[in-house]
Amino acid sequence: MSFYEHTIIAKQDLSTPELNNIEKKYKEIITDTDGKLIKVEKWGLLSFAKKIRSYNKGFYIHYKFEAENKTLDEIKRNSIIDNSLLRHLTVKYKKLDTETEYFKENNEKKK
Amino acid sequence: MKRKNNKFNKRPQNPLNKLSLFQKSDSRFSKKCPLSGKEAPIIDYKNVKLLRRYVSDTNKIMPSRITSVSQNKQRKLTSEIKKAKILGLI
Repeated sequence: MSFYEHTIIAKQDLSTPELNNIEKKYKEIITDTDGKLIKVEKWGLLSFAKKIRSYNKGFYIHYKFEAENKTLDEIKRNSIIDNSLLRHLTVKYKKLDTETEYFKENNEKKK
Repeated sequence: MKRKNNKFNKRPQNPLNKLSLFQKSDSRFSKKCPLSGKEAPIIDYKNVKLLRRYVSDTNKIMPSRITSVSQNKQRKLTSEIKKAKILGLI
């Protein structure tokens, strides 16, 4: 078992129940395949530096979890197939720091 | 007994105290790495504010000879900047 971070970029024109469904779907994938979900962060709507598939903005969802190989395979396979996602990235870590949140200030300003 | 601090005596204290006019002064190039040492900022692909400092206007990674980042940290910087580029943060 080792620690991982997984970030998803969803399309801009999705409604809020659809976004919640996406968030739930990947939570269930982690928990169903014997993984430990540690934290979920919603970074909210952020603008890209460049256009990605003719989109200027996207919703960011960030997962921190502890899991083995088979959950990683499931998550990567699902996020490639998924049509509502633009991009995804998984990073392996020896230690996770759950305290610092780099995108928290941006959300509060918008509200 | 007081020990003499050899480190500080090595360099000439006065920049005008040189042998020849064309000799380059040491103090100009002795810049410390800003990313190593105690209380250094964490290099991470989520820390976009820090990564922006080490990227040019056209989104190229700055060479360490300009930014004076140490070799070990420069390797980490490049990998984190590339991750941030995948997510469209930089």
